Amino acid sequence: MSWTIDEWFVIALARTIRPAETVFHGFGSPCAQVAMHVARRTHAREMTLIEGATYAINPEPAFIPPTGNDESLRRGAAYSMRFEEFFDAAIRGDVDRMFLSGGQIDPFGNTNVTAIGPAGRPKVKLGGGGGGCNLSATIPHLTLWTSHHRSGRTLVGSCDFITDMGHRTPLGSRAELGFSGGGPQWLVTELGLFDYPGERARLVRIFPDVTVDQIRAATGFEFEVAGDLRPVDPPSAAELAAVRTIDPLKVRASEFSAAELDRTFDAAAGQDCGC
Amino acid sequence: MSLHPPRDKRVSLADAARLVPDDAMVALGGGLSARLPMALVRELIRQGRRGLHLVGSAHSIDVDLLVATGAVRRCEESYVGFEQDLGLAPAYRRAAETGAIEVAESCCATILAQLRAAEMGLPFLPVRGVRGSDIRRLHPEYAEITCPFTGETLVAVPALRPDVALLHAPIGDRYGNLHLEQPYVLDERFAAASRAVIATVDEIVSTDEVTAAGVTIPAHKVAAVTEVPFGAHPTSCYPRYAYDRAHLREYTAAAAAGPDGVDKYLSGYLGDDEEQYREAVGADRLRALTTWSESTDAWQELFR
Repeated sequence: MSWTIDEWFVIALARTIRPAETVFHGFGSPCAQVAMHVARRTHAREMTLIEGATYAINPEPAFIPPTGNDESLRRGAAYSMRFEEFFDAAIRGDVDRMFLSGGQIDPFGNTNVTAIGPAGRPKVKLGGGGGGCNLSATIPHLTLWTSHHRSGRTLVGSCDFITDMGHRTPLGSRAELGFSGGGPQWLVTELGLFDYPGERARLVRIFPDVTVDQIRAATGFEFEVAGDLRPVDPPSAAELAAVRTIDPLKVRASEFSAAELDRTFDAAAGQDCGC
Repeated sequence: MSLHPPRDKRVSLADAARLVPDDAMVALGGGLSARLPMALVRELIRQGRRGLHLVGSAHSIDVDLLVATGAVRRCEESYVGFEQDLGLAPAYRRAAETGAIEVAESCCATILAQLRAAEMGLPFLPVRGVRGSDIRRLHPEYAEITCPFTGETLVAVPALRPDVALLHAPIGDRYGNLHLEQPYVLDERFAAASRAVIATVDEIVSTDEVTAAGVTIPAHKVAAVTEVPFGAHPTSCYPRYAYDRAHLREYTAAAAAGPDGVDKYLSGYLGDDEEQYREAVGADRLRALTTWSESTDAWQELFR
C-alpha cells in the first residue's frame, strides 16, 4: 500500500473531526472539504457535515468539483440551509468545528487571508476571509491548515493583517474579548501537526520524511516540541479508499506545489523519522 | 422603499442597466461560480458605468470585470477571487495594490446583519465577532456597544441599503416573480434591503410556472425584469447550466497579463449586446454546459 502527501494530509485533517460533531468548511478549501467527507465515511459517521458555500446538510456528492458553490455538492442532501440559517447557527454556537487556512498564520493561530504588506497599499491583495472574522469568535473548535509551511512565508511571527482570530490578538486573549469559541485546536501542515496546549502552537506529530530542524527552519516563530513527538499515524486502507472515492478529480492537489506532490510513502518503508 | 405594483416589468437589458446610475451602491447576487448577474455586469461595462460601490458576499468574475473596466470606486465584499482552483482575482488585486479602488473588505455575517437591519427598518444590528480582527480597522463606521441586558460588548454595524440589487434567476414571470435554486446566498436579503431589484432570467415563463416551481423573490420587490438566455454565463445557473471553468480560466489568464489582457478578452467576447456575447462563446460550448444532468461522468467531465 502506498500513498501520497496530499492523501495523507487530508486524512490528518479528517482525524481532527470528532465523531458526532457539526462541521463546516469555507470555500476555496478543497483539502478541508475532502477531509470532511473522509471523516464521515470512516470514523465520524454521525457527524453533521455542512457543505461549504452550498450549506447542504450531509450530502453524498459523487465527486468534489473545483468550485465550492456547485449543485454537485448538494446531491443526496435532504436539506440545504439558507445562508442566514447557517450563520445564525454558527453564531449561536451550534456549529462545533470549522476549518480555516491563511496566507499567514502566527503562533497564536491568528490567520491572514486579506493582504500581505500594509492593508492600505498591500504588496499582495489576497481574496478575503468570507465569514471567518465572526465565525472564528464563536465556533467552539477550529482546525487550521496550510500546505505551504515549507515556503517559510506562511507560519510567521506576526500576521500583517489579522482576518480571523486565534487565541490572542494585540487586543487581548479570547477570554478578554469575551468570545465564546475555544479557538484553534489543531494546525495541520504538510510537514507536521501542531496542537495548542495553551495559546501557542506546539509540534506534536511529524511526517516521516521531514526533520524537526527542517520544520524549525520553515517556521517564523519559536515553538515547543511535545515530549512524545512521533510520526503521523499512517493512513488506514479505509481512509485511503475514502479519499480516492470522494475526490476523483483530485481537487485536493490544487493546494500543493508540484514538488510536494512527489512525496510518496509506503507501509513497507517503515516509519523512520527525524524526531 | 415602496413596494412595486403588479405591472408588466419587462424591459430591454440596456434599459435595465440604465436603472443603475453612476456612483450607485450595487448589491451583486449569487456567489463564487454560481448565478452571478453577468449579463447586467457586461451591459454596465458596455454603457461605461463609473464610481460604483459594490456590495456582496463571495464573488469572482463579476467584481473583477467591473474593477478591470474602471467601473468601481469601492469594494465591500467578504471575498473576491477564483478559489483555490484559479487563484487570486487579477484585476481586483491589481487595483487594490495600486490604490485604484477602496477596499472595505467585510465578513459574510456582518453584511448579513447590516442587510437585516435595513430590511427591518432599524439603524443597526449588533454582531459578536469582528473585535480582534483587523477587518474592524477597515470600517470606521462600526461602533462598540454594551448590551443593556447582559453587559456583553458587541459591535454595532449600520444598516446597509443598496440602491439596487442585480439578481439572476433561471426563470421568472413578466411581473418579476423569480424562482431560484439553492443556494440563494444573499439574494433574498438583498431583495428585501435594497431600494430596487433589477433581475435577469434565463427564460420568462408564465406566472403559473413560476408559482409551481416556487417564488423565491416576489414581484413586489422587483423593479425590472429582462430575459437573457445564459445570463449568468460563465457562472452556473442550475438547473439549466453548469459553470464554464474553461472560460473562467481563459479570463483569469488574460486578466493576469494586465490591462492589455483584459482588453483582449473584452474585444473577443463583450460585443454590442448579449447575442453577440453568446455568439462569441459559441453555441456548442453553451450547449455542452447544459449536459451536466445526463450522467455523473458528463458532469465531472465539464470540470476537468
